[in-house]
Parts: sequence; C-alpha cells; structure tokens
Amino acid sequence: MNGAQQTNQPERQPPVPVPVTPEDAGSQALAEALRSSFGLIKFVMLGLVVAFFASGFFTVGPQERAIILRFGRPVGEGEKALLGPGLHWSFPYPIDEVRRVPITEIQTVRSTTGWYATTPEQELAGTEPPAGAGLVPGADGYVLTADQNIVHCRAVLYYRITDPIRYVFGFANAESNIVHALDNALLYTAARFNVDDIIVRDIAGFREAVRRRVEQLLAQQDLGVLVEQCDVESRPPRHVRDAFNRVLQAEVTRAKLLDEARSYENQVLSKANADAAGILNTAESDRTNLVATIAAEAERFEKLLPQYRLNPDLFKLQLLTETVGRMLASVQDKFFLPERGDGKSRELRLLLSREPVKPKTSSSTQQ
Amino acid sequence: MKRNPLSITVGVLLLVIFCLLLFTFQVRQSEVGVVTTFGKPTRTISQPGPYLKWPWPIQKVYKFDQRIQNFEDDRFDEVLTADNFNLLAMVYMGWRINDPMAFFTKFANGSITEAEKALRSLIRTAKSAVIGRHPLSDLVSASEAEAKFTQIESEILQIVQSQVAANNYGIEIEFVGFKKLGLPESVTTEVFNRMQSERQVLISKFQNEGEAEAAKIKSTAERKAAELLASAEAEATRIRGLGEAEAAKSLATFQQHPELANFMFRLSALEASLKERTTLIFDQRTPPFDLLGAMQTNQLQK
Repeated sequence: MNGAQQTNQPERQPPVPVPVTPEDAGSQALAEALRSSFGLIKFVMLGLVVAFFASGFFTVGPQERAIILRFGRPVGEGEKALLGPGLHWSFPYPIDEVRRVPITEIQTVRSTTGWYATTPEQELAGTEPPAGAGLVPGADGYVLTADQNIVHCRAVLYYRITDPIRYVFGFANAESNIVHALDNALLYTAARFNVDDIIVRDIAGFREAVRRRVEQLLAQQDLGVLVEQCDVESRPPRHVRDAFNRVLQAEVTRAKLLDEARSYENQVLSKANADAAGILNTAESDRTNLVATIAAEAERFEKLLPQYRLNPDLFKLQLLTETVGRMLASVQDKFFLPERGDGKSRELRLLLSREPVKPKTSSSTQQ
Repeated sequence: MKRNPLSITVGVLLLVIFCLLLFTFQVRQSEVGVVTTFGKPTRTISQPGPYLKWPWPIQKVYKFDQRIQNFEDDRFDEVLTADNFNLLAMVYMGWRINDPMAFFTKFANGSITEAEKALRSLIRTAKSAVIGRHPLSDLVSASEAEAKFTQIESEILQIVQSQVAANNYGIEIEFVGFKKLGLPESVTTEVFNRMQSERQVLISKFQNEGEAEAAKIKSTAERKAAELLASAEAEATRIRGLGEAEAAKSLATFQQHPELANFMFRLSALEASLKERTTLIFDQRTPPFDLLGAMQTNQLQK
C-alpha cells in the first residue's frame, strides 16, 4: 500500500514542480512533507470515490414511487419501473437520474374560473365583494347555463396518480392540465343544465355530470389519473341573490301549504274511516240485538202461549199488571188523579219544558 | 520510477470519462433532441438513451421537452356568434413537439415561447372563425341534440391543426377546449334583469300553485270522507235489513196466536217508552190504581 502510494505520486501529480533530490537535508524534508500530504490527498480521493457511490443511495417514502432513468431511459417497463418505499441504490448522476412521483396520496386541484373575484380574507369571513352593475369580464368568473343565465361555479377535484410514467413524462405540467379539464367540465356541464337544477333542484346530478365530463376528458388525454372525488359549489350571482332566496321561500311556503293540506287530508280521512267503522259496528250490533231480542221474545211467546190458552183474560190481566208494576218502579214521577166527586173531569195543566236536558223524556197521560 | 498497473487503470479510466463527456450525450425520456453539425441540423433523436456525437465545435445538441405543453390564450376575447351575440371566449390547448427538426428550424433555437406566440394568433383566428359559424344555442343549451359544444371544440382543433401542419411547425395539437365563456359587462346586467323577472314568475307560480294544490287536496279529502260515510251508512242499512230479514223468521212463532203477540208487543213497547225520566199521571180507572178509587180521602202526592 505504501509502495503504491509512493509510485503513484508522480503519476497522479505530473506537474509537480519539485524534483526529488535526496542530496541536501532541506529538500529531503520537503520530499518527506510532500509524500505525506500526497498520502493524505490519496486518502481523501478514495473517500470521495466512496462518497460518490454512496450518494447513489436514496429512500422512497410511503406516499411516493421513484423511477430511475439510466442514460435518460426508464429502467424497467411499466409497473416494474416503479420503485416502492424503502432504501434504493442507483448510479450517481451522469449515469442514473432518480425521478420521484407522488402516487398514493390524494392530489387536489381547484377550478375558480367560474367564481367571482374574491380575496382570501373575504373567503374566510364568508363575505362577498359588493355587487356592481354587471360582472366585469376577466375579474368576475361565471358560467353560462343552458337557459342562458349566469351562475358562479367552482369545483375541487381529488385524484390519484395511477400511471406515474405517463403523468410525469407525458405532460409538461399535468396538474395545470387537470385544472383546465376541470374548468372545461364546469363550463360544458353548466351549459347543459338549467339554473334551477344547478343551484337547487339537481345539485347532485350536476356534480355527477361534472365528474363524468372530467373523467372523460382525463381519459381522452390519457393523463394516468383516477378521480376520487369531485366537489362542486354553485351560487347565483349576488346581484340576483335576493330573488333566488325569495323563490326558495316561496317554494318552502308552498311545501308547507301542501304539508298542511296533506295532514288535514289524513285527519279527515282517518276520522271518516273511524266514523264509518262506528256506523258499521252499530249496525252489526243492532242487527244481532234485533235478532236476539225477537228470538227471545219468540221463545217467551212459545212458553206463555199454553198458559194463555188456559185463561186468556186472566193471563192478560196478570201480564199487564206485572208489567205496569215493574214499569212503575222505574218511572220518576208518578201522579194519581182521583175522580172528582161530581164525576166531572178535572182540568190538568202541564208545564212541559221541565229541564233543558235530553229531549228523550216523554210524558204521557192516562186517557 | 516503476509504473503500477493500478495507476495505469486509474489514468485510463479518467481518460475514458473525459472522452465520454466530450463524445456522448443523453436524451431523457421526456425529451427529444436535434444534433447540428456546424450549425446545420443533421440528426433527430426521438428515443431516450445515450448517443455519440462529435465534440463541441463540430456538433452541438439541442434538447426539447416533448411532453404535452399546456397553453392557454390569456385574452378573454369578444367574438360574435352566428346569431349576433357578443360572446367572450377563452380557450386552452395541449400541444407537443412531434418533429423536432422542423420545430427547431421554424422557431429560433426551438424556443417554446416563440412557438406559443405563433399558436396564440392561430388559435384566436380559429376561435372567432368557428364561433362565428354557430349560434349561441350550439354552445349553451339543455337539449343534447342541439348542444354542439364538443363539436365546436373539435372544429377549432381541426383548423389549428391544419394551419400548424401547413406551416410545418413540427407541432401536434393534442386537444383544444374552452376554459371560459362569458358575456360583455353590459349584457350581464341585461341577463340579471331577465333573471330577476324569471324569478318573479317562479315566485308567483309557486304561491298560486301551493294554494291551489292545497285547496284541491283538502276538497278531495272531504269528498272522500263523505263518500266513506255514505257507503258506510248504506252498508249499515243493508246489515240492519239482513237483521230484520233474519228476525222475520221468528214471526212464524207469533203467527200461532196473533192476538197474544200483539198484546205482548204493545206491552214491551209501553215498557220501553217509559224507561227514562218519565212522569205518569193516573186516574182511578187505571189498574192497579183502581184499587185506590175506593178510598175517599186520598190526596195528590208531590
């Protein structure tokens, strides 16, 4: 090792200006010093070489993949070109080049070309810039709807990169490409929907249509991404916001009226049903009552008939007396009018409206 | 001094590296290259990898990004539609260098900015030409048949593409799309007025509709209820009739002695009629009160 070091000196350092002459002590000391410093340089160079190769180590995080370009060409084909998370080694720069691609993490792009001019402060506070007479082209963005109205729309698209090679090597700026596709999708979809559908009636349908259009565009352009989610927010222009709110109120009022009407309907119908059932039940019980009563009467008649036949007059009298006796027990007021001594009939005055109670009360006089 | 084989190896290695630096170059996956010999483009490199060349004064390498470039026309121009609407339109496109040699010769040193300048004027003319051929309803319409949004986009694409091909720019247009559509400021106020009145119409429609619907629901409910009750009454009558018919069967029994039956019915009718809160006034001829007639001193009872 030492020998190699010695012999190496002149080769590695050809332009060394000091010839090695062992005659005098001064130059010998110099040669000695040089030799030791060359040794040091040699050591440092060796270290540099090691460092050079060690610099080829790199790590890939859990959210990314790496592609090694060897002399500019990706190493491996398709999926195999992608290096997963962990420690990897490649040749250092002029030979290999490492390109990292975010893959599993969800990427986000926003489209605001269809939104009015706003500042982050206003956005945070939830306020809007004051409404001018019209919308200034360029400053205030909006989209045109199918019924040629104006609506503000913005969207956020969440996507994942599924084909990193295409994403990185196919497009100078894939992300801005996706933003453009999203802008275009909003524009295209809004031009196909009526303003009421976008804002109130078919928000989900509009969002789905935007998403479909974005997916279609991204597939056409073969961006190698997968759409995870697409959020769309739409608002009527602030110039006509009040009118839109009033329409909403009118709709709410209408719904309320209808609800009330429906609950009234329920109430009336269920009451009618109950009443009808009551009527039917009463009829049924009347019927059974009638039948049972008549049957009982008939039975009683059957039993009484033989007795009657024995002595009709006595039997009738007995029956009558029995009944009157029973009946009198339940009669509230009983008056007895004895005949006047002269045999003339008495005058009897009746005050009929006795009590304001049930009109069922009946009074009868004896003839 | 003796030469060690190791030092020779190292020397040769350094020499090789030096030569490689001079005589080779790399083209990356995303790039294409043009090699010029004494300034004249002589070779196109379209595949990535390492290549050989003569060192600097003789040959020079120009590399271009061959990925799809995004380009958006930053002007929001007014264009006139076929039915004389003033429309503002902004388009974007994706383009790519497909013939580096042509691209290199057409634009100074293959500058992308220069190329975009040329594309900008091309796309502006194409945009106004195509939109001028279509009415507004082609762009903006609810019916799928009428809407020719994508058709208009592809017409613009075709025009730009053919222009690019005719000029031999060495460029391929990948896609063209609308980024923004708008109306002049004065028109937006008109649109707002129209929207206001549309809203007004909707409001009164909802109000009237609501009241009318509610009234309809209520009256229908009442009618249904009345119908229910009426049919229940009819059914009840029928049931009672059934009962009476059934009861009539027992009449045969009473036929055996109509006089007694009559007497009994009258008795029970009398009893039933006197059941509640009745006041009865008798004279002395009514049995059993005729018994009282015998007494001379009876008085009225309260």
